[in-house]
Amino acid sequence: MTRLSPLRALAACFALIALFVTVDGAIHVAMAQTPFGGPRPAPEPQVGGFVGWLLARQSEFYREISTTIRAAKSDGSAVWMLLAISFAYGIFHAAGPGHGKAVISSYLVANQETAWRGIVLSFASALMQALVAVAVVAVGAWLLNVTAKTMCGAEKAIEIASYGLIAIFGARLVWTKGGAFISALQADRRQPALAAAAHQHHDHDHYHGHDHDHHGHDHVHDAHCGHSHGPAPDELAGPGGWRRGLAAVLTVGIRPCSGAILVLVFALAQGLFWAGIAATFVMGLGTAITVATIAVVAVFAKDVARRLSGGRDGGGALIMRGIEFGAAGLVLLFGAGLLFGYIAAERTTCL
Amino acid sequence: MALALRRLALLLPLLLGATVAQAHPHVWISAVSELLYAPDGTLTGVRHAWTFDDMFSTYALQGIETKQKGVYTREELAPLAQTNAESLKEFAYFTFAKADGTKQRFEDPVDYFLDYNNSQLTLHFTLPAKTPFKAKQLVLDVFDRTYFIDFQMADKDPVRLVGAPEGCKMQLQRPNDGSASAQALNEQTFASGGANANFGMMFANKITVDCP
Repeated sequence: MTRLSPLRALAACFALIALFVTVDGAIHVAMAQTPFGGPRPAPEPQVGGFVGWLLARQSEFYREISTTIRAAKSDGSAVWMLLAISFAYGIFHAAGPGHGKAVISSYLVANQETAWRGIVLSFASALMQALVAVAVVAVGAWLLNVTAKTMCGAEKAIEIASYGLIAIFGARLVWTKGGAFISALQADRRQPALAAAAHQHHDHDHYHGHDHDHHGHDHVHDAHCGHSHGPAPDELAGPGGWRRGLAAVLTVGIRPCSGAILVLVFALAQGLFWAGIAATFVMGLGTAITVATIAVVAVFAKDVARRLSGGRDGGGALIMRGIEFGAAGLVLLFGAGLLFGYIAAERTTCL
Repeated sequence: MALALRRLALLLPLLLGATVAQAHPHVWISAVSELLYAPDGTLTGVRHAWTFDDMFSTYALQGIETKQKGVYTREELAPLAQTNAESLKEFAYFTFAKADGTKQRFEDPVDYFLDYNNSQLTLHFTLPAKTPFKAKQLVLDVFDRTYFIDFQMADKDPVRLVGAPEGCKMQLQRPNDGSASAQALNEQTFASGGANANFGMMFANKITVDCP
């Protein structure tokens, strides 16, 4: 492999971060409000192209859900239509905010996670989201017959809890990744070449599964081993890592999608609660596919960065630790932003 | 290396497309708005009638007890109307007024009530202007900046001027419905990444009243 100049590696690193920020999506929705509560003067409105198309599809599918549930009252076969629409809606809708793309992708990048693990986490969190939505409506509307105000209040409470969890989860990641990053910085400054040589043997502990099979020639020299402050990468991605992965699933999955709750209450009122439940799970399946795709892309992007920076002794590890630290920071920022309302687009609106 | 970068570049549109999709509405409102003028030509308030889509209407009616199944009287809906009126405060009633460029504020709503027809709820309420004002040009935006709610002014007779001075002209600019799909992903879509912060603005209904 050709050696990269530090400059190019750095450029690649920035490209990845830029890409990641895009995945995160947080920036777009942040701070749309002036301190006076009004909207900012906007440039000429333009909802065209791909964005407009995506939005139009989502809205169409969502509106068709209620029509189809009504139809299913008299015609049972409409349920199949309902499931098909819900599936498509899930796929499109997950591209919008609130389905853990940011958290899961950041988590995967912050840790030495595989694409496979990303897929599993995406599906697990989508399943949990569906379960919570069904539970909220089953208990709230069906069992207790509470008002929409109460149910929406519960939804909001869950939402805040979820954002708090994301922030805590992010803080924890920042703590461990920050330690690793600082160690890498110190090692890099001290004696990069030597550190690189000394840690050559350590390679195999850092990568798992196919990840390392494909890129056996890339040497990422983990500068922090030997004087580690945080957990070693194999601790993060090893069997114990599943427990950590579970934390990611919980933080993301605890928050139900308001769309699903509306559909469930509507189905319940039409006497077709079971159809609503089926639709919710199919929606979750669609959501999982989108989130998993983005998660895999994030893992792949990090892989590219690793390959690009791999040619540099010592510095490569520094860059990788930097990226991981950055991803951890994003989770924290994201959680805090949601919690304190700087990112407003994901708020449940109770009327 | 070059190949990897090119691949990375290929992925960009996918990711951008995915993220700028943002939120989409969960609630649809068809709105009729009346601008209320005093005899001296000052604007005293705005009276809205917002009709919710049937799914949200059903959701909102969850847990409301009625004497007759499926029939909701104004009295039975009164607590819900109050909840609505109170919750709307947080969102500045989705109503933003500017008089000759100066932001105007509204008081808490008065005369609010709900009625239920054809499986749809309609919320009626009046927003008194904090300080009634005169304006050569009044601009009133009705929209949800988070686009949780999609506002569309009603097809028929969406805006009425009540008691407006002679010679005032009203113009309604409806939001782009997003179906103009011909515009391909272009440079500007990337360059205007920051413009997404004003996302909901694209869905604003802009009412402009010019008075002599």
